[in-house]
Amino acid sequence: MTNRRITRRTTLKGLGAVAIGLPFLEEMAIAAPDTKAAAPPVRAFNVFFGLGIPAPLQTEGFDGVFEPLKPLAKKLLIMQNVDQVRCDESGINAHFDGASGAFTAEPPSGEAKAGGPSIDQVIRKAHYPKGLPSGMVPTLVGGTFFRRSRVSRYVHSYNQDGTVAGIMQERPRDLFERVFGTVSTGNDTDARRQRLKRSALDTVVDQYKFYTGVNSPLGKASKARVADHLDRIREYEQRAYAMKHAAKDAPKAPPASKLAHGGKADPGGEGIDMMVEDLTTEWRLMADLYALAVQTDRTRFGSLTYLAAGERLRVKGEYKYDGRTIYNFDDAAEHKASGSAGCSHEWWHKFNPSKKNQQLRAHAHMTLNEVAYFLKALDGENSVEGNGRTILENSLITVSTESGDGRHNDVKRELSGIFHATTGANGRLKTGQIMDVGAEGIDVYNTVLDSMGVPSRLGPQKRDSAAVDRIRT
Amino acid sequence: MSPARSLVLHFRTSSTRSLALGIVMLACLAHAKGQDSGDVTRSSRVTSGLQVLYDFASPSGAVIHDRSGVGKPINLSISDSKAVKRSEGKLTVSGKTTIRSTRPAKKLIDAVRRSGALTIEAWVQPANTKQAGPARIVTLSKNSNERNFTLGQDADKYEVRLRTTRTSTNGIPAVASKGRTAGTKLTHIVYAFAKDGQARLFVNSKSVATSKVGGLPSNWNGSFELALANELSGDRPWQGTLYLVAVYSRTLTPKEIARNFAAGPDGTSAVESLAKVDPGQTLFETKIAPLFANHCLECHDSASKQGLLDLSKKSLAIAGGENGKAFVAGKSDDSLLWQMVESDDMPRKRDPLSTEEKALLKKWIDTGATWSLDTIDPAVYAHGGQARETLVQRLTVQEYINTVRDAVGVDISKEARELLPRDIRADGFSNTAYNLNVDLKHVNAFSQLAEIIVSRMDVLKFVRRFSRNNKLTDKSMGDVIEKVGRWLLRGPLDEQEVISYRGISTTVASAGGDFRESTSFIIEAMLQSPRFVYRIENQPGYDGEWPVSQHELASRISYIVWGSPPDETLNKVVDADNLYGEELSKQIKRMLDDPRAVERSLQFASDWLNLGRLQNLSPNPKMFPNWDAELAEDMRTETLAYFRHVALEKDRPLSELLNYQATFATPRLARHYKLPATTSKIDKAGTSQYDLSKIKGRGGLLTHASVLTVGGDEASMVSRGLFVLHDLMRGIVRDPPPCVDTTPIPTKPGLTQRAIAEARVANQSCRGCHLRFEPLAYGLEKFDGIGAFHEKDEHGNELREDGQILIPGTSKSVPYQTSEELMTLLAGSERIRETITWKMTQFALGRPLGAADAATVADIHQAGQKSGGTYKDVITAIILSNLVQNGRTVKSQTE
Repeated sequence: MTNRRITRRTTLKGLGAVAIGLPFLEEMAIAAPDTKAAAPPVRAFNVFFGLGIPAPLQTEGFDGVFEPLKPLAKKLLIMQNVDQVRCDESGINAHFDGASGAFTAEPPSGEAKAGGPSIDQVIRKAHYPKGLPSGMVPTLVGGTFFRRSRVSRYVHSYNQDGTVAGIMQERPRDLFERVFGTVSTGNDTDARRQRLKRSALDTVVDQYKFYTGVNSPLGKASKARVADHLDRIREYEQRAYAMKHAAKDAPKAPPASKLAHGGKADPGGEGIDMMVEDLTTEWRLMADLYALAVQTDRTRFGSLTYLAAGERLRVKGEYKYDGRTIYNFDDAAEHKASGSAGCSHEWWHKFNPSKKNQQLRAHAHMTLNEVAYFLKALDGENSVEGNGRTILENSLITVSTESGDGRHNDVKRELSGIFHATTGANGRLKTGQIMDVGAEGIDVYNTVLDSMGVPSRLGPQKRDSAAVDRIRT
Repeated sequence: MSPARSLVLHFRTSSTRSLALGIVMLACLAHAKGQDSGDVTRSSRVTSGLQVLYDFASPSGAVIHDRSGVGKPINLSISDSKAVKRSEGKLTVSGKTTIRSTRPAKKLIDAVRRSGALTIEAWVQPANTKQAGPARIVTLSKNSNERNFTLGQDADKYEVRLRTTRTSTNGIPAVASKGRTAGTKLTHIVYAFAKDGQARLFVNSKSVATSKVGGLPSNWNGSFELALANELSGDRPWQGTLYLVAVYSRTLTPKEIARNFAAGPDGTSAVESLAKVDPGQTLFETKIAPLFANHCLECHDSASKQGLLDLSKKSLAIAGGENGKAFVAGKSDDSLLWQMVESDDMPRKRDPLSTEEKALLKKWIDTGATWSLDTIDPAVYAHGGQARETLVQRLTVQEYINTVRDAVGVDISKEARELLPRDIRADGFSNTAYNLNVDLKHVNAFSQLAEIIVSRMDVLKFVRRFSRNNKLTDKSMGDVIEKVGRWLLRGPLDEQEVISYRGISTTVASAGGDFRESTSFIIEAMLQSPRFVYRIENQPGYDGEWPVSQHELASRISYIVWGSPPDETLNKVVDADNLYGEELSKQIKRMLDDPRAVERSLQFASDWLNLGRLQNLSPNPKMFPNWDAELAEDMRTETLAYFRHVALEKDRPLSELLNYQATFATPRLARHYKLPATTSKIDKAGTSQYDLSKIKGRGGLLTHASVLTVGGDEASMVSRGLFVLHDLMRGIVRDPPPCVDTTPIPTKPGLTQRAIAEARVANQSCRGCHLRFEPLAYGLEKFDGIGAFHEKDEHGNELREDGQILIPGTSKSVPYQTSEELMTLLAGSERIRETITWKMTQFALGRPLGAADAATVADIHQAGQKSGGTYKDVITAIILSNLVQNGRTVKSQTE
């Protein structure tokens, strides 16, 4: 796998056809924050990963599945025993409830709404009541995910009313264009409409592709006719949706994604086949671009998703960490099943604390390794700010997931002990610990908000809050 | 393989017990030869209408392959291989087993329901004469009480049960042979059921039972499977040896049954011989007849007959011309035709034949000069081999407008006409598929129009017509997409399509959108999808004809009749799997009575007569100082109102369009025509009806100014004559030779258009072609360039209306004295009636017709005329024909 990180100060070559030239980097440098300023801007990001870490595995320190977080141990506060049971919604399994509760501490409100705002948005509203500086993306929502039956499985930034705070950018190129292709005016109505129209056009293109592909029911002459039409659509697509760069000598966009997106990514909940290398390549490009957006100060709030809640992939391929093979995945073969029953998801259903749970551990290890990849992108020398700390240290980055146990037969167990980690938020929160907080998520989040100088709180107003002061500095 | 060899093989592989039968077969063969040597000497099995064929060619395995080569094979699985013994060409069943298709025999069921006819054929050798029940030899059924058909053995009789609208679900009453018909010898059994309800059972090619079963198989159950040697429920086993089983979706004639009997039970040899057609016949019909049509008939047809040689008629061609026989079979060097062509003396004043064409001609003569057609009609070959090319059809602009209107209730006509490029006429029609290209402007327009359409819809109300679900969950959206898609995309969606559209709703949802917004974008995408923009049909990966699916048939019918998609009523019939037989006829009638059928008929008339041309009509103001530009639209209105009145409202035979004695004119056009006042009221179109029975000269389509203006300002007899020849008579003339000066000759005092035309016809160099079309316009001379009637032209020359017409394919001109007589002649012309059928068929299919279509179009024409020859009769005949009922499939590229 090609694994060269994209940073602000290196020429980016890439992953596939990515080639971002120096003029672009100069432009980014101009737009970058003043690195000599003593006070870094307030930033808050939510990082979500799918399927969770069973609570018993969270007690093993950095010797177990937490190993990939070890290099960042001093800059993270890893919290055990965070309870999200209040997010349960009767009749729905915890993938959806727990994912909706991540960063909001509320049960979902319908299929496409969270029960309340996410912490990044509460902080944004409090610190930028009149909006972010001109030219910034107010909220950047991105991710590499496939399961998509409900929005909160993969979107993790929500407005006060529980609606999504930004359009999900699920392809690296989409995220690139969102950040670097246009200058936001703060009024996203037209851009949103264009984005959705483009999504509809993607489906139209899929249909034309089908009728020109190997499984087309058409004969040669008819196929050729439809292929002509498809060519015209692509021409139209190029003209109608070409990225409008502000700068001359605009860089090339990242390559088109090779992975399934849209409806094809989630065929009726049955899951899709996925090679480790393909998944990791796309995610790391997404993570690098997101980090670049932060480094260049194009965004200060938002969320990034690595795999949706209840993700269904039949993963195959070797996963190596630190030069050693952790596992050779072949989920379908090991499950001896196809469709959803052959997905890695099933290892969570089969979790048994008294057994090795070898496959689950390997998947969880890989997941945290990829989360760490993004966090590290904000922690190198390119991310050092005026106060001498890195963006990772200066920002509030909250990492969470949907569940503390993959078995669906006990809601309380499922929504208890949900992995949480935060960065120090420029010295506002403790780091360097794995802490058994033994608290509700809502109290953890409200304590974080208080630490960030935000007066408002999540959850019902009448509820007696129980601040978790031990996470503060 | 020859029949004799087939029989020899049979005797080698069969037991001695079949010797007697062999003698019977030889006798039969000799008899059949005497009756129809052409068929039997070929010894090939009948293939027309074949749906399934099991010849047991494989010596082993648990699967019996359907080797019909038609559609998706219905292969059969043997449940207990120990109960059977296989060897090449036969299957012996000695125990209890089931041999069945693993899925419903859909292609067979569809085909028989559509055709209303059936033939079941089997070569068998029963193990005994005690098995009963009847013991199932071949059955399409569910269990011992429910079936579509069963051919069985009941002791020493054969029995067939067939479900029709008159028999029970068990196919009772059955048709059975008399006792002692079934023995233990190799036997050929055929059951043939005709659409008129008549059934006959043949054993060894002899009729052994006849019965009026009645009804139609339109009520066949679509879920039944096909099985051999037992009932599907496993409780009616048959034992014996199977050599061949075939089922046809038509009634084989006694001659055809004899032919199959003569071909013997050797399935392998029979299948190998399926494709064998007399190579001489193939060569003549596919290569030589088109060659004559394109290179020779200009001078050597019945009209020109230069050198007294007529190559358009079989008997006359063989007889030869003034120099004797044109060709000697087997001897090209002795054939004058070949000598003239080889030396490039022929064709005269035209390009010589290519090397390949010459080689074909030589080969044809040297291999026997087979002449298998009575007449060579050049019109049939005008489009070469591409006429039947299977090409997906894009909706025309008008069809797009209609489809949007009927699918979502939005009138998008104004915007669609503004944004979409106009469809250009090709081969006489603007809906010709090969010309319905797509450019960037189309894609842009489809996108913009989709947005406009959705903005005008009450999306939630629209969706509620199909589903009460209104959530963004998988299940809810999946249901909505399936049902809305079924309607908008004119057929069920497969899983991948649902998933693909589902992607839109998840994206919209993740952008904070709700159900309404999600469904809006989904509809927007569907309106741009290939299944909306095109009339997509499955073209399975094999070569040949195949009955289209019910959804496809419904779509074909609705676009033929309405130019728009199937309505809910038609969809319900399709969903009930019932678009066959009487119900199909009922639906066609219902749809033809709908106002949309009138609209569609007017689109046909407008295209056929090229009325769009009138939009650009701009006569020379010096010649026509009183020309009113609005007259052009009035002319168009007249012809459409006339067509509507004669063809639809009065439901008159279409030939009456040529001489119907009334017309419909706006006040302005009536003044132009100098028509007397009428008491008829002005209708919505702004026209009044005028009785023309006492109006001199005027009356019939050709006297409409909309048609007369094809002659241009000078009222050219060439242009008018060519219009009549091409568009009313399907006549063919080639372009003038390059050296000819085609500059129109102006009239002057003492020189009329008629005189100019007669001079051309008298000129030997021009006569060959001009004789065919200019006289057709003589009767129109009194109408000037913009259709006004005069007795004298602008120079004071007296104008005439007498003349003679030469119908393509005939040799003698028919004289007429007046314009009225000309119109009467034309209205009575079979060639014109045929041409109207051809034109309507071409418009219905959206493609030019070619040689391969000729026989079917002739059938359509006969059926249409037999029913009355009206617009509705002809459309009905078109829909019921194989050209609509069947799809022309193509081989997949991977094969």
